Amino acid sequence: MVDYDFIVNLLSAMIRNATPIALAAIGAVVCERSGVVNIAMEGIMTVGAFVAAIVAGATGNPWIGLLAAIFFGGLFSLIHAFATVSLHLDHVVSGAVLNVLALGITSYLMIMIVGHPGTTNPVPVGLGDYRWAIPVLSSIPVLGPMFFNQTPIVYFSFILIGVFTWFLSKTKLGLHVRASGEHPLALETIGVSVYKMRYFGVLVSGLVGGMAGAYLSIESNVSFTEGMTGGRGFIAMAAMISGGWHPIGAFIAALFFGLADALQVRFQVFEIARVPEEFFIILPYVLTVVAVAGLVRRSRPPKADGVDFMIERSED
Amino acid sequence: MKQTLSILLLLVVASALVFAGGQGEESGAMEQGGDQMVAAMATDVGGLGDKSFNDGAYQGLQMGEDLGFEARVVESNQQTDYIPNLTGLAEDGADIVFAVGFLMEQAVKEAAQMNPDTFFGGIDIGGDPEIPNFQGILYREEQSGFLAGVLAGHMTAQYSDASPKLNADPIVGVVLGMFIPPVERYEVGFIQGVKYANPDVQVLSVTAGDFTDQARGREAAVAMIEQGADIIFHAAGLTGLGAIQAARENGVLAIGVDVDQNNVAPDTVITSAVKKIPESVYVVLESVANGTFEGGTHTYGLAEDATGIAPYHSFDDVIPQEVKDAVDAAREAVLSGEIQIAQTRADIQDLLD
Repeated sequence: MVDYDFIVNLLSAMIRNATPIALAAIGAVVCERSGVVNIAMEGIMTVGAFVAAIVAGATGNPWIGLLAAIFFGGLFSLIHAFATVSLHLDHVVSGAVLNVLALGITSYLMIMIVGHPGTTNPVPVGLGDYRWAIPVLSSIPVLGPMFFNQTPIVYFSFILIGVFTWFLSKTKLGLHVRASGEHPLALETIGVSVYKMRYFGVLVSGLVGGMAGAYLSIESNVSFTEGMTGGRGFIAMAAMISGGWHPIGAFIAALFFGLADALQVRFQVFEIARVPEEFFIILPYVLTVVAVAGLVRRSRPPKADGVDFMIERSED
Repeated sequence: MKQTLSILLLLVVASALVFAGGQGEESGAMEQGGDQMVAAMATDVGGLGDKSFNDGAYQGLQMGEDLGFEARVVESNQQTDYIPNLTGLAEDGADIVFAVGFLMEQAVKEAAQMNPDTFFGGIDIGGDPEIPNFQGILYREEQSGFLAGVLAGHMTAQYSDASPKLNADPIVGVVLGMFIPPVERYEVGFIQGVKYANPDVQVLSVTAGDFTDQARGREAAVAMIEQGADIIFHAAGLTGLGAIQAARENGVLAIGVDVDQNNVAPDTVITSAVKKIPESVYVVLESVANGTFEGGTHTYGLAEDATGIAPYHSFDDVIPQEVKDAVDAAREAVLSGEIQIAQTRADIQDLLD
């Protein structure tokens, strides 16, 4: 059973499973490095998935759907930025409210736009219909079909991981974002606005989270279903933590979860053990808990992550 | 102070939207009093638009309009919504309230006991002699699964030349949502049907563990297609839409569930294992209108024309006449009692090994 095709298929499935989690995780990394705890990725993904399906369905163009998902994901995340940075609300409370809000808004708009709750109509063309095999690279054994014969958002996630790694470690703006999460007072002292950096961090997580949602609704599938995010936003938090608040670490952690999920499905196909299916289904989650519990001790959050920052201004 | 206020404000806005989402379809129905009878339903978490049993039940309610019923729907966003939704509908004056889906069993029985003056119906839920105002409606899903299995068993093996979407491997796959009795009956019936048609065909099976996560259904189907499965049957609600999508993208065939799902992917869905929920909901509405409503369990099957498989649509020209005849013969044999179909995996252990 375990032959070349099996390995290639397994690893391709790993990448597909990992993509929405990796995107949400790297978005959350930038957000938390700026000092804002973001547990709202699940909600942001829900909004992104919904908007993508509606806009792609209405325009017939999945690319416009993707852009709209990114835009509205960002817009939705700004509520979190406003609540935590400007109103100094507790980050976890605001994030939790946003997750509930996302469910409410989408099922409300669903009735307004689609006419019924539940599932939208299928989009005429999905991003899954664009499978790009990169010339030359896609013919490398194993790695070729795994990394270089995928659909658009999968490639975008690879690119974004590189971009954000470079951005956080090599650019001045990235340094400011990190400073805002480590020592905001020092950053403010040199004349850079901590508020702006944190707004920026949250916005990035919203834009990328919207893209992660679009992956679920219009690339991996062709319609939006309420509840389709299936807890991936929270798995992304686990990936971010066990990945040490670093884009590459988060990506590897997401791959790990994707691999566990791809494996459990194949365990069921091959009936490797006569046990209730639920044992297989929980496998990825159990492994995630173990990974987080095992790695989290060595993983250090940004020092001022979740710590409110308030500037006292004298009235004049 | 400012913080507390903003927390409160956000919570109020959020909950307002959640409730608006849950009960949006009710508006406008409240003023009409008098003799207008109201038939209501609370959906399972899948909600309307599942192209499956929630839509089926709603269709039944709409058919009831010519009996003088007005249809009302409340959607359940999560399992904790079940009881408030069901009792809420009863308190708003509905004459009969349907709970749709096996997962609502406890909730609907509790609601029926709390509201003894309202009739309740439960799709995929067994009745209870101690609750006379509740009628449980069950289907013989194994019969629908069996006929779909006979079709799949023939098509994947001897008749695999009939469509370019079929390969030489005698392998078919099943995607299940959660492993609950109606889903199990579909699967068990399907396996028996496949083996009845051709004992050499292998049936792969994956349980996704979810009824709303399309991506999981897709991955489950892909994993079986990789192993050579060329017909994917799903009993997985919305999760199954992902399985059909995977079949479409990989150029193999799919079999839909509950209602005729050919419209989901006309070039992929060869047939659907159906249970005629709208018709049985209508029967219940008739009994309410005539005052002949009874509690207990009502089971619908082939004999009532409530189970079976959907038309072949564009595959009518693809499926060889021999296969159609075999399916029809199997239907007759089930009806006459010549073929007994088991309902649980434990009963078909010999076929699973």
